[in-house]
Amino acid sequence: MIYLDSAATSFQKPPVVAAAMQDAMRRMSSPGRGAYSSAMRAADTVLDCRENLADFFHVPDAGQIVFTGNATHALNIAIRSLLKEGDKVVISGYEHNAVTRPLHALGARIHVARAPLFSPEAQVEAFRQALPGARAAVCCHVSNVFGYILPLEEIAALCRSASVPLIVDASQSAGILSLDFERLGADFLAAPGHKGLLGPQGTGILLCRDSALPLIYGGTGTESRRKEMPDFLPERLEAGTQNVPGIAGLLAAVRWLQRQGTQHIRRHEEMLMQQFCADMAENRQVDLFTCRGNKCQSGLVSLQVRGLDGETVARRLGERGIAVRAGLHCAPLAHENAGTLEQGTVRFSFSPFNTQKEIRRATAILTDLAR
Amino acid sequence: MFYLLLCRSLTYAQRSARFLERKGMTAIVIKAPPAAAANGCAYALRIAARHYPYALELLQNSGLSPMRVFALENGELREVSP
Repeated sequence: MIYLDSAATSFQKPPVVAAAMQDAMRRMSSPGRGAYSSAMRAADTVLDCRENLADFFHVPDAGQIVFTGNATHALNIAIRSLLKEGDKVVISGYEHNAVTRPLHALGARIHVARAPLFSPEAQVEAFRQALPGARAAVCCHVSNVFGYILPLEEIAALCRSASVPLIVDASQSAGILSLDFERLGADFLAAPGHKGLLGPQGTGILLCRDSALPLIYGGTGTESRRKEMPDFLPERLEAGTQNVPGIAGLLAAVRWLQRQGTQHIRRHEEMLMQQFCADMAENRQVDLFTCRGNKCQSGLVSLQVRGLDGETVARRLGERGIAVRAGLHCAPLAHENAGTLEQGTVRFSFSPFNTQKEIRRATAILTDLAR
Repeated sequence: MFYLLLCRSLTYAQRSARFLERKGMTAIVIKAPPAAAANGCAYALRIAARHYPYALELLQNSGLSPMRVFALENGELREVSP
C-alpha cells in the first residue's frame, strides 16, 4: 500500500516509537499514584516528554505542556476556557469541526473571517476587520482539506494588538512547520500527537500561556482531600490516568523529529507535493487546488476528478493500493469557503516516509483512473 | 537527618529534583508521609540536611518553592519554617 493519508494519521512511524511503547507497557505503571520503581519510570517518561515538547515548541515552562487524548480534546479545553454562550469568536473559513462544533455547542456568536483560498493577504485583512469586539479568535495553521498555510504570525500579531486571545489549531503543522509558541503570543496551541509529530493515536497536546478551565474533573494523584481540581498546570487539566505508552511513544517520536529537523521534513514534503502537482498539472480531467508556486501550501493537496465523485475515485485508488481520503474531511466550512461543498474533494497528504517513487506510482494510477 | 520538601504535585517534585541534581544535590522523590500531607496524597523531596539551606534558596529563586518543609530525624517528623 502507498499511504497518502497522513493528514488523517501518520501510518509509517520511526521504529523507535513502537519500541518505546512496548518498553512502557513492560516496565511502566501509572505516574502519580505510587513512588515505586515502575511508577517513577512512568513519571520520568511523562516529564521527559513535557520537557522535550517545551524545547520543540519554544515553551518557557514544561508545566505549560498539557497532555490530552487528541487535538480535538485540546481544542475543547481551550475553547471552553475562553468563551461562553453569546461571546463573539472570530475563526478562519478553513476550520475543522473540532473547532466549529464546540463553538456551536457552546452557543458562541461565530464570525467567519472569510477570504479566498490561498490568499494570505486577504485572510489577514478579514481578521483585521472581524476582530473588534471578539472575546477570542481561533485559527488553524494549515487547512486539513487544502494544505493552505494560513498567515498565522500576522494573525497572531493582530490578535495581540487587539488584545484578543488566540487559539491555534496546529493539527496539520505540528512537527512539519516551525512553531515558536512564545514568539507567537497565542494563548493556546492544540496539536495531535499522531499526525506530523509521528506519535501514537490517543495522544495530543495543549500548550497553555496561562491556566485554563478543566474540561474533565477527577483524580490527579495529589491533594486528594480537596474537592476542587488543582489550580495549577498541568495537573489542573489532566484528570485520570495518563496514556503512558502513548506518551512514551510520543517522546520517542519528538526526539526523532528533533534529530531530523522540521526544516528537512518540510523540504521533503514540499518536494513530494510539487512533484505530485507537476505530474497532474496538465491533466484536464483533474482539478487541483494548489497555491501558485506552492508557497503557501504544505504537503497536502486536494483535487476533483471530472465525471467521477470523490468516493469512487478514492475507492478505485484504494483497490490499486493507494490510500487517500475523500469527502468533506470533517471540515465543511473549508469546502463552503472554497466552493467544493457539493462534491467534496479527494485529498492526498504526504509524510517524511513517502518517496518520489511512490508519488510517481500514485499519479500514474490517478492519471489512468481519470481518463 | 533529612529534610522533606512538600511539593504541590508529582510534576513539581520531579522538576525540583532534576533542578537540584543539575546543581549537584541529590533529591529523592517520595510519597509524603500522611502526617505531612494535610490535603491527602502528596509527593516530597528528601534531601540531606547539609544541602537544605542552599536547596531551599535555589528552589525559591526558581519558582519551585516547596509548600511546606519538614525535618525528619530518628523517624520523627517536625515541621519547620522554610
